[in-house]
Amino acid sequence: MDRRTFLKAGTAAGGAALLGGLPGPALSQGAAARTLRFVPQANLANFDPIWGTQYVVRNAAALVWDTLYGVDENLRPQRQMVEGEEVSADGLTWTFRLREGLKFHDGEPVLAKDVVASLTRWSARDPMGLMIKAIQQELVAVDDRTFRWVLKKPYPKMLLALGKNNSPCSFIMPERIAKTDPFTQITEYVGSGPMRFLRNEWVPGAKAVFQKFDQYVPRQEAASWLAGGKRMLVDRIEWVVMPDPATASAALQNGEVDWWENPLSDLVPTLRRNRNIRVDIADPLGNIGSFRMNHLTPPFNNVKARRAVLMAMSQEDYMRALVGDDNNLWKPLPGFFTPGTPLYNEEGGDILKGRRDLDAAKRLLAESGYKGEPVPCIVAQDQPITKSQGDVTADLLKRLGLNVDFVATDWGTVGQRRAMKNPVGQGGWSMFHSWHAGADCTNPAAYTAIRANGAGAWFGWPDIPEVEAEVASWFEAKTLEEEKAAMRRLNKAALDNVVYAPTGFFLSYQAWRSNVSGIQKGPLPFFWGVSKS
Amino acid sequence: MFAYVVRRVLATIPVMALVALFVFSLLYIAPGDPAAVIAGDQATPQDVERIRASLGLDRPYLVRFGAWVWGILNGDMGTSIFTNLPVTTMIAQRIEPTLSLMVLTLILAVSIAVPMGVLAAWKQGTLIDRAVMGFAVLGFSVPVFVVGYLLAYVFALELDWLPVQGYTAFSNGFFPWLENLILPSVALGGVYIALIARITRATMLEVLQQDYIRTARAKGAGQSSILFLHALKNAAVPIVTVIGIGIALLIGGAVVTESVFAIPGLGRLTVDAILRRDYPVIQGVVLLFSFVYVLVNLLIDLAYTLFDPRIRY
Repeated sequence: MDRRTFLKAGTAAGGAALLGGLPGPALSQGAAARTLRFVPQANLANFDPIWGTQYVVRNAAALVWDTLYGVDENLRPQRQMVEGEEVSADGLTWTFRLREGLKFHDGEPVLAKDVVASLTRWSARDPMGLMIKAIQQELVAVDDRTFRWVLKKPYPKMLLALGKNNSPCSFIMPERIAKTDPFTQITEYVGSGPMRFLRNEWVPGAKAVFQKFDQYVPRQEAASWLAGGKRMLVDRIEWVVMPDPATASAALQNGEVDWWENPLSDLVPTLRRNRNIRVDIADPLGNIGSFRMNHLTPPFNNVKARRAVLMAMSQEDYMRALVGDDNNLWKPLPGFFTPGTPLYNEEGGDILKGRRDLDAAKRLLAESGYKGEPVPCIVAQDQPITKSQGDVTADLLKRLGLNVDFVATDWGTVGQRRAMKNPVGQGGWSMFHSWHAGADCTNPAAYTAIRANGAGAWFGWPDIPEVEAEVASWFEAKTLEEEKAAMRRLNKAALDNVVYAPTGFFLSYQAWRSNVSGIQKGPLPFFWGVSKS
Repeated sequence: MFAYVVRRVLATIPVMALVALFVFSLLYIAPGDPAAVIAGDQATPQDVERIRASLGLDRPYLVRFGAWVWGILNGDMGTSIFTNLPVTTMIAQRIEPTLSLMVLTLILAVSIAVPMGVLAAWKQGTLIDRAVMGFAVLGFSVPVFVVGYLLAYVFALELDWLPVQGYTAFSNGFFPWLENLILPSVALGGVYIALIARITRATMLEVLQQDYIRTARAKGAGQSSILFLHALKNAAVPIVTVIGIGIALLIGGAVVTESVFAIPGLGRLTVDAILRRDYPVIQGVVLLFSFVYVLVNLLIDLAYTLFDPRIRY
């Protein structure tokens, strides 16, 4: 019995005698061991993984809804809800058969019509889904367990699209829910995954609770990321939202929570000193820092000005600002793809390597015709990752001789302003910072930030046909070698034209109590196989 | 008196209407876009635009304001853009922790600060007086979050007497409820104690110079009787006024305290809503806080009649 329990018991006994009040029922030790208390990276403010594509929503949704396929730790899609698939010789007709015994949380069986409705809603929002939709002939339920997707041209990345972990994932919902407009939020949360969402216990901004779904049928294979048998070893998972990292750190040290998804690197030394706490890398795929320039307005509408930034930028400065002195948490990134994954390459990356040449960068900037126009840098101060990068950028651009207009604001405002295509002086902007999950940057499928299709591209609207040509080559590639060749060409074209400036590759930690076991490293917290003693 | 109360209650209507107009207009012109937050960082501008349209955020100012006011007049404060929950439900989920925190802080602050102020006035110029005033300066100067972290470090992490964070509903038992609120109340109460102690001391010093105090002493009244029956009662009006004004201080402080101690109250709801631009929630919470403040002022005015029989409405 720890001191607090002892004191509580004593005080309660005395207090009860005095006031006639009794404490509420406490969890038994067994029940406590079957409840996992988890501090997520952010507040679960909504719970529609198609409508809202924030990572925290995807992470919670992966507990509640299952997918047809799931990527494993080798980034390969594996069967999940499907028993098998057939593709016609011309690659145009895909026929899928669902596993037996799949059920929704309301007890109804998962039918092919539910899958058709779910895929229809997903394909209206997801970049890969949109590509499939554009070449779709028909998507129909053949019988209760079989559905068919007929295309007008082959789409070799079909299984990856259905199993990828990038948001939005193709989660399977009951037909009546999946028929909701993809731009309108669902109001019912009936899942197909291993845990039920307890809506009545949901306090947005504070708590979300998940209860084990006893009728879920896991696959027989061992679990690996989103693939394999999702066996739940706890009955209840409580997400406890803590906006203040210091509080989360103290709560973990005090045993009030079991697992913290993203401790600040500043707090990690303190956590490491506690013998009851384990700390390790959260996601080996990490994140890529981004210096995003506006290709429509001066000075960054000129490729020479964009390359001047690349020439002058020190990725080490950015990464040190983000993770401090911990060398395990970062590495330079002379490219756009996630280090350690098959398509990673450094083609054209020399401009980001070696000694930084500020004078040469200044000359290149002068050649671009820059005449001292204001350069609005919109930097969110409420996100540590953007704030740290922004501070480095303000200094860098000033040293380069740019007339920096540093707009310190919040993420909500950046979200609005970066969508504006107005000229500078009329609400327009020149650059902002962001970051991309490494899991999204393993290939061009979900890598919105690498696209350079002008008005259809991500904010900054780069228009670089060479990059788009290589994206198309990747989608059509039939072998890994072809994919690699396409991505080498893409990397070079994207660096030569500076789609955006990568500020480096960085990792983050996760921390948990030593009585918790089974925690995997991965792009999202995987709760299956996690137990607590 | 009854006519006065009715008049004051009616007067809250234009006040609330002005608050409503002001809050709505301010949010309308403020930068930020909930659709961009919902769509996430990887969304395309087209996605953001469609979400904005589906939320009705592309409608003109007057249409949106009219719809919101009409809803309020019909008892509907709107629905959260993010959670899809009615604003009234979200406020109902959060009101107990905030109310508990504020009531406990109020009780703690008044029961400590008033005796401290009285003591300081009685022992004016002594070490006790200086200690009380020193504490008051400290209470004013040290931010709530610093006090909060220190308390959590000492009483939760080092001594393991109290939890670091969270809230347990009163329905789960008095002691679990109290256990979670002790540290936040002490942290939040510091500045409030300082404020009340200083005003109590100043007012008491003035009252203790009055003729009727000398008379009480002359007729042989005891020290405690002079201090608490004769002096404190006559000093009560400004003290009660400050306690009322301090409610606003508590509301502001609750925002920080709830974040530091991870209490799921209205303060955190407000901050979360502001950061996400959840307009209906911001509007609902601000209206509620304004209403509470107006109500507290009315209660304070009515309380004057209890302490000073000369005041009549």
